[in-house]
Amino acid sequence: MKFGLFSVRHHWEGVMASSYLVSRGVTALGIHLQHVCRNVLLTQTREKKRWMKSYTLLMENIRKLEGPPPPKPRSHQPDWDYHAEAQAFSIRLQENFSLELLKTAFVNPCYIQSEEEGRRKAGLEGEAVALNLKDNTDLRGQGLDFTHSFLSDWCRGSFPNLPAEAVTAVVGHLTSPEVTCHVARNLAVEDLTMCSQCPVPEDVLQATFFAVIGALQESSGAERTGFFLRDFLVPQLIGKDLFEMWTVLNPMGLLVEELSRRGQPLPEPRLTRSAGASTVLPLFFVGLYSDRKLLAEGPGETVLAAEEEAARVALRKLYGYTENRQPWDFSPQSQQPAPAVRALQST
Amino acid sequence: MTSRGTPSRFLQSVLQNGLGRYVCQLKRISLIFSKKSPSSRGVREFIEEGVVDFAKKNPGTVVYVSPQSCTTPKIVAEYLNGNVREEAVHSKAAQEVAALVQKLSEQSGLDVIRIRKPFHTNSPSIQGQWHPFTNRPPSIGPVQPRKTPQ
Repeated sequence: MKFGLFSVRHHWEGVMASSYLVSRGVTALGIHLQHVCRNVLLTQTREKKRWMKSYTLLMENIRKLEGPPPPKPRSHQPDWDYHAEAQAFSIRLQENFSLELLKTAFVNPCYIQSEEEGRRKAGLEGEAVALNLKDNTDLRGQGLDFTHSFLSDWCRGSFPNLPAEAVTAVVGHLTSPEVTCHVARNLAVEDLTMCSQCPVPEDVLQATFFAVIGALQESSGAERTGFFLRDFLVPQLIGKDLFEMWTVLNPMGLLVEELSRRGQPLPEPRLTRSAGASTVLPLFFVGLYSDRKLLAEGPGETVLAAEEEAARVALRKLYGYTENRQPWDFSPQSQQPAPAVRALQST
Repeated sequence: MTSRGTPSRFLQSVLQNGLGRYVCQLKRISLIFSKKSPSSRGVREFIEEGVVDFAKKNPGTVVYVSPQSCTTPKIVAEYLNGNVREEAVHSKAAQEVAALVQKLSEQSGLDVIRIRKPFHTNSPSIQGQWHPFTNRPPSIGPVQPRKTPQ
């Protein structure tokens, strides 16, 4: 064993000195080939492979030094058929994408640039360099506009009392990179995205998702796209509080403004309950009264914090964004009757 | 045997699936088998009999059939949330393979581990949890001096 190890080291140095072998893995293999050839007779191939242990240790060390290999896009791994994947993507989401538009939506400008550079480096010139692919710049703009307008309309429709700033904040939350990328990753948009980098950066993924929405609008119309957004983007609001998305620094001021706009008397805070005021865990409940009626009640560790919380509760009640509101309607879209049936109904 | 050391997660679904529309979470499935070895006989039979039906029934799943020279045939299932599950089907019958493929297509792709409940208590209470207003009058109103019993 000792002899084997020594000879490996010896050969290692010998090979290091010679410079014609480049890759470390190749050198390691080279050692053993030499070692086997020199020390072991050809008939001894059945012997216990004593070089194996040092070889595996060496490879393990190399792997540890180099770290894990860089991530490979799914399209470069075995078992990948782009056409079938795109088709399955469309069917899986129960949408009628036109496949050409869908494939265009996945092509990012950065991919075309990097591909053309690669071709130029490979020695192609002139027209042969150009990749005859359309990128998704138009589609992503269209998708983004549609998403913004649809979500704003939807928000105004389901919460008629919500002010314009809050609607902007909610729409901004839904179209933010975190939410859209989370949805896109869980709909397998990332696998199909054509991008120069891997893993796909957040902004590119977000743009691709909007391009997919734009492609859907082009191929099946605004109504279906609205249902798509309702089914995949709107559920991300579940469990979200209004003031998590919309930062209001002075809720009491806003409440006063709202009440005066509605012509109601101004809120009067009153301490309704308190416990342990002299301890490290004090608790106060403040109720807001308007015209001797309880608007809202909120808890807090200090009286001021409780008052602010009460104002937030009152605002939630005014805007209709309470936790016990009626759930949204996610029922499947009404089936369009076939033309013949429609004709029968109209006669 | 306690289960504290085992991995766990809370009950959840991917993207609130099923709230709007149901999306089959299995995005692609590859059957890796050998053309010759006896251990992949069941997989070969399944490919002859059932794989086309499966693919027709699940158009949202891409099915890859790749013959390789391997001793252990396996089924690799990839899910929408990025999870990949490999199932070895060493010398399994065609029906077993079909049942496994069906099961994989119905799963959500989230790890199959212990599900935790959203509440926990070391010592369950019969009375209910204490809070600062336990045994206090339930009335809501401004704090006022207590009425002294006359």
